[in-house]
Amino acid sequence: MSTAVMMKRIAEASPRPSARITGVVYLLYFLTAVLGGFLMRGIVVDGDAVATANNLVAHQALFRLGLATGFIATACYIVVTALFYELFKPVNRGLSLLAAFFSLVGCAILAFGSLFQLAPFVVLGGSQYLSVFKVEQLRAAALMFLELNTLAVNICLVFFGFYDLLIGYLIFRSTFLPRILGVLMALAGLGWLTFLSPPLANYLSPYNLVLGFLAELLLMLWLLVKGVNVQRWKEQASTA
Amino acid sequence: MKDPIAEASPRFRARMAGAFQLLEALTAGFGQVIVLDRLVVAGNGAATAANILGHERLFWLGFASSLIGVACHIAWALLLYELLKPVNRGLSLLAAFVILVGCAIQALTSLFYVAPLLVLTGGNSLSAFTAEQLQALGLVLLRLNTYAFDIYLVFFGFWCILIGYLIFRSTFLPRVLGVLLAISGLGWVTYLSPPLANHLWPFIAAASALGEIPLELWLMVMGVNAQRWQEQASAAGDWRSPRPPLIQSPA
Repeated sequence: MSTAVMMKRIAEASPRPSARITGVVYLLYFLTAVLGGFLMRGIVVDGDAVATANNLVAHQALFRLGLATGFIATACYIVVTALFYELFKPVNRGLSLLAAFFSLVGCAILAFGSLFQLAPFVVLGGSQYLSVFKVEQLRAAALMFLELNTLAVNICLVFFGFYDLLIGYLIFRSTFLPRILGVLMALAGLGWLTFLSPPLANYLSPYNLVLGFLAELLLMLWLLVKGVNVQRWKEQASTA
Repeated sequence: MKDPIAEASPRFRARMAGAFQLLEALTAGFGQVIVLDRLVVAGNGAATAANILGHERLFWLGFASSLIGVACHIAWALLLYELLKPVNRGLSLLAAFVILVGCAIQALTSLFYVAPLLVLTGGNSLSAFTAEQLQALGLVLLRLNTYAFDIYLVFFGFWCILIGYLIFRSTFLPRVLGVLLAISGLGWVTYLSPPLANHLWPFIAAASALGEIPLELWLMVMGVNAQRWQEQASAAGDWRSPRPPLIQSPA
């Protein structure tokens, strides 16, 4: 076996590429999630059914594009979830699986919640059969659907809170990632858990959100740039 | 006593996967397509309401059938996960994760499937609305069922692409089945934009028939090449189990 082949095999057997892939997909998640939000910004006007309905009709294509981008973001997060499960399995297999299950339930609620962002197009679509309602009623229903989506997002954030808390613990106990990232992720998780009480979450906003965003951003950058400590990962994997 | 599922031969598992795939197609198709096509009159709330109330038993049957479809889908997905684990454990798990999210959404569509009955048979509690308004509301809820099903189809499409890739990389199933399934998956992913998907519908339907029917038949009739499956499983066991996935270890 030539040295080149041997080097290649060693490189292939290391978890570093896996951590890099995780970082790349994580970055993709961030980009699609931010892009989705950006495309839909300003269309929904809180408490103003008329303005919201007008915006929705005028910018339907843009809003739907934002929604589609959001679905891709959710798909990316499922990939991140699967990769994190593999990455932290050597630390604690059971907890790593539990974390993945929390994230999957969160993803399902998030994706299903988007239905309530599509629903306004049904009631504002101008179908003949809807003429039994007054225009104001249909506009109010559209806004109600959008508010249901906000509630669904609040529910999914609670599940992502538990997920981040567990990931934080797993990072902290891992020997192959800096402990501070684990502490930050756990704090981020606590921040998302404030959505158990939306009034509390609104009161603490934007601090609880900034924390979550920052911790995940740092973890993503660390995985992308530094990866994991390969030696330590292997040690844990072989003793697990 | 050993777990009969874990002990089942790969060929038996493949046959069961094919059977559940067929069951899923029949039950979900009956509930979401045949029953709704018979009862829903597009754009006509009164006629739709009359149909649903006149055929209430059929409507409930359609609801139950589409829910049983979800259960069959989960069994189908779990069997394929076990079957394709030797090809790439990590990707096979990812596919299972994707379809579990999809199945959760598919199950929730059933909520909007039955909701029209709630508003049409609400009686006094809904008397603040006129009968015409409740009928229109029933139609809106059925539209939401369709929209939710479209969201499920996107995740189903991603799953088909992953499973297609795994079949392609397997040594125990014909590669062409994997290619066809991945193409049908691409078709379903176009439901990211439902107007586009509706525009492409004949192609999506054809790709889906070409991707799913041969796979179903192959799994049920031929199963898998058991010897090749064992070979791939033992090779994976030697090299991959202590490693993270998505890294191709040299065999």
